[in-house]
Amino acid sequence: MIRIKLFYLIAPVFFALQSCVKDAVDNLDGDEKPLYITKADTNADFSSYATFSLADSVAVISNNQLVQRVRTDYDAAFINAIAAQMESRGFTRVAHGNSPDLGISISRIYNDFTGIIDYSDYWGGYNDYWDPYYWGYPGYDYYFPPVYGTYTVTEGAVAIDMFDLKNAAGSNQLRQVWSGLVRGSGTFTSGMINRHSQLLFEQSPYLQR
Amino acid sequence: MKKNKIILCTAFILSFAVLKTTAQQGEVRMTASLAGATPMGDFKDLVDKTSFRGVDINIIYGINDKLGAGLNIGFQDFYQKFPRAVYKLSDGSDISAVITNSVQTIPFLATAKYNFSSSGIQPYASAGVGGSVVLYRQYLGEAANDFNKISFAARPSLGVYIPFKKDGEVGLNIAANYTYIPYKEAGVSNLSYFGFTVGVGFPMRN
Repeated sequence: MIRIKLFYLIAPVFFALQSCVKDAVDNLDGDEKPLYITKADTNADFSSYATFSLADSVAVISNNQLVQRVRTDYDAAFINAIAAQMESRGFTRVAHGNSPDLGISISRIYNDFTGIIDYSDYWGGYNDYWDPYYWGYPGYDYYFPPVYGTYTVTEGAVAIDMFDLKNAAGSNQLRQVWSGLVRGSGTFTSGMINRHSQLLFEQSPYLQR
Repeated sequence: MKKNKIILCTAFILSFAVLKTTAQQGEVRMTASLAGATPMGDFKDLVDKTSFRGVDINIIYGINDKLGAGLNIGFQDFYQKFPRAVYKLSDGSDISAVITNSVQTIPFLATAKYNFSSSGIQPYASAGVGGSVVLYRQYLGEAANDFNKISFAARPSLGVYIPFKKDGEVGLNIAANYTYIPYKEAGVSNLSYFGFTVGVGFPMRN
């Protein structure tokens, strides 16, 4: 008897505890959600570069396949924001054909993650939900063919890649000297583009002419 | 929403305070409390804010009027969001993120309790040894990393039971405890905390 009483007292308490947990994601403001990841070639001397050129469109890459190169309003704003940051660090933007020291390309990356939702659990008690007697077949069992639901989540990011064009001829390589990545909610919000570019450069103080 | 959660949590505790009865020897008593806790030691590196989101349940069998033994189950939710900062990753990358640490501890302890008095206001000491489920989730922005584990746990405690009426068997229970949870994950060595509980103690009857 005590055991039953205990169950009825304790079980709802711990069930309710989940609702007492402070939800971390719900407590994030919009500008707290994105992540900014940068990485530089430790051997690169950025003061040795003077000029840069930005690709005038953005590559859209979905599940590691190039879909297209586009220039939407969002893309144009992102390109201009990165250019402004570079110029604020003392680099000079030049046209593609004017032998820039650095080449910068921007890509939008989308990856799909697919999972399976199995609804079959609820069939176990189906005789209780709908007794076959209801259909005029008392004592019968139900049969359910296997059916699953699937879901797909698309995760997006923006990548900015900077390449050394100045020394490409000598090494036969377009060597990446800096990369920046923005991901998380708000990545594709136009109103946050300037903040994205500002934070990427703030955490890269070595990017200086 | 937040208000509803507080009401819900409080209602569970207060709903136990409906009782009456007699002596302690051979009797099972429950104490259901709201709990607060302040992280100590290494734990403060993850969360240094005091949590008021917790409950604590003691079920003690009275071996005699002063000595009892039973089970202590608790729950505490710790949470802290840190302002955006740049962190160095092992591959040399820099990541700017708002980090949130969310830690829930669910200790389950075999507990011995000693009442310094068997009537009126009853101060007591108790000690519990067992385990604790630790649910530690660290968020970088919205991305979560889990470091869940079941660890050893021990909890010494001092408290006082104040009956609602003279020699009553239902009363207010106030206690302070120290919960020691060695936890060697994610760069910390323990998740120990100083805790305090306020609740209602009452006998459980068939």
